[in-house]
Amino acid sequence: MVNRQINLKNAVFAAFILALCLSVPGFTDSYMLRVFNIAWITCLCVLSNYVLLGMCGQNSFAQAGLWGVGAYITANVVMKLGLPPLVALILAGLGSGFLAFVLGFAFFRLRAYYFTFASVGLMTILNGLFMNWTPYTGGALGISNVPSFSLGSLVVKTEKANYYLIFVVCVIAYLLIKKLYNSALGRSFMAIRDNEMAANCLGINSLLTKSIAFGITGILCGVAGALYAFLSGYLSYQTFTYQQSTMYLIMLMLGGTSAPSGAVIGTMIISLLQEWVRPLQNYMQLFYGLGIVLLMIVQPEGILGGGRALYEKWLSRRKPASTVAQ
Amino acid sequence: MRNGSAAENRPVLSLSKVSKRFGGVVAANEVSFNLYAGEVLGLIGPNGAGKTTLINLITGVTPADEGVITLFERDVTKLPTHTRAKLGIVRTFQHPRILDRCDVYTNLAVGADLASRRRAATRSGRQARLEQLLELAGLDEVNLRDPIDKLSYGQQKLLEVVRAMLSEPVVLLLDEPAAGLNRAEMAHIVKLISLATADKIAVLLIEHAMDLVMSICHRVTVLNFGQQITTGSPAEVQNDPQVIQAYLGGAASAAR
Repeated sequence: MVNRQINLKNAVFAAFILALCLSVPGFTDSYMLRVFNIAWITCLCVLSNYVLLGMCGQNSFAQAGLWGVGAYITANVVMKLGLPPLVALILAGLGSGFLAFVLGFAFFRLRAYYFTFASVGLMTILNGLFMNWTPYTGGALGISNVPSFSLGSLVVKTEKANYYLIFVVCVIAYLLIKKLYNSALGRSFMAIRDNEMAANCLGINSLLTKSIAFGITGILCGVAGALYAFLSGYLSYQTFTYQQSTMYLIMLMLGGTSAPSGAVIGTMIISLLQEWVRPLQNYMQLFYGLGIVLLMIVQPEGILGGGRALYEKWLSRRKPASTVAQ
Repeated sequence: MRNGSAAENRPVLSLSKVSKRFGGVVAANEVSFNLYAGEVLGLIGPNGAGKTTLINLITGVTPADEGVITLFERDVTKLPTHTRAKLGIVRTFQHPRILDRCDVYTNLAVGADLASRRRAATRSGRQARLEQLLELAGLDEVNLRDPIDKLSYGQQKLLEVVRAMLSEPVVLLLDEPAAGLNRAEMAHIVKLISLATADKIAVLLIEHAMDLVMSICHRVTVLNFGQQITTGSPAEVQNDPQVIQAYLGGAASAAR
């Protein structure tokens, strides 16, 4: 009974959030809508960070690189091979995912935080490739005029149409991650995060499982890259940088690593904040730095953890009152 | 005695002259024993005798220097830990290794996941098995959605045994399951081990609580400084002068 009440409450809340998100194009100008579009694409990358760091406990700084791989695959598949955008989107996800999965096998032979070091190296190499591998990335000039996403005769050209496309992909990714959380694979990620030796003794292959987590990260970032290529139409190596990867981490930390909603909350707050406090842009890095340090001291579980703690406090205060009423 | 009939069967797990050295310290020196289905073999010895090392060697957490470990006559000595687990060698730890950021349900489900991964037949439907084990462990009142740190230390240790049992193991290695437990919790451990033997699981039990070892083990083997002193029935071991010297000492004579 209580469970059903909670489920109903959750459903109402989810419907409200969904309606709010779907109504965004109704009350924003095209500039702000672009901000939202980029924010949702970023959200996919931060969700991928949630899978790798939040669920599997492995911290990578290569997400922006994998995002770029997806974007460049998309541009090449659509413009050089002339394949439909949907195929490009799928290939971007698979290509980036496969790359991450294979590299995972090499990287995760390194223990503990050495994987993080390796991921920094990967990020640097990828960025170097984006800048210098001219035939496929356009080099320093980048690639312009990537066509918009289309499905048959339906062309997703306007900012608004792109919003719905990107948002739907985000919702699908979010639901799949929720599903992953409750699956045996998701549990094996969390077992590795919490106690790797116990995980091994329960038949979980660390190397394979971590590589799969990194592969999933690659898929999400690759799809995000494809969406970015369709949206922006112009790819430059200056977009897919180490700083961007750091930003994903900050967003996840701010939102909280304990649930995928933390990734969404963190992404949205930072993405929108960047717009609202644009005059203070020069000081933003300083604020991030201080903010993260403060957050880790005061609320290491992020906004999500803080909110949950408050909610539980509220519940426990309410409970004695209701028993008295009975 | 149960082990009389069990000995006629082929052993489930067999160690043959398994050795391990850490620098100059000999943690296991040519240790050999057989473990049979439905049997509880007690592994006792003073602190630092190499008991936990032996479980680490069997599970592959620590690689053996020499010797052969076989499971159903298959050599598993060189296999990685996760592969051995998938073959049915499952252990618990002296200090419970729980998933501390997960809820109770997830902590149990990772055990059941191993059973599905190795396609082990569940003895009685998954849910029924879970309920049965939780009841035996005295954890049936626990809310499965609670975070794991709501459980007491003893409950966490019991949960770890339940998790191992949910994986439907062939060999169950218990590293001091009763250490730090109160009387009531110890009774739950006994119930769980009894179920394991009834289910024909081969159990290796490291334990310091002598009354527990003497009451539920079919055979006992004694280690001292990595050296296997003797193996025999609890009564035989209890009266072995070498064992009394090395381990039971004054406590044993006082108990008698």
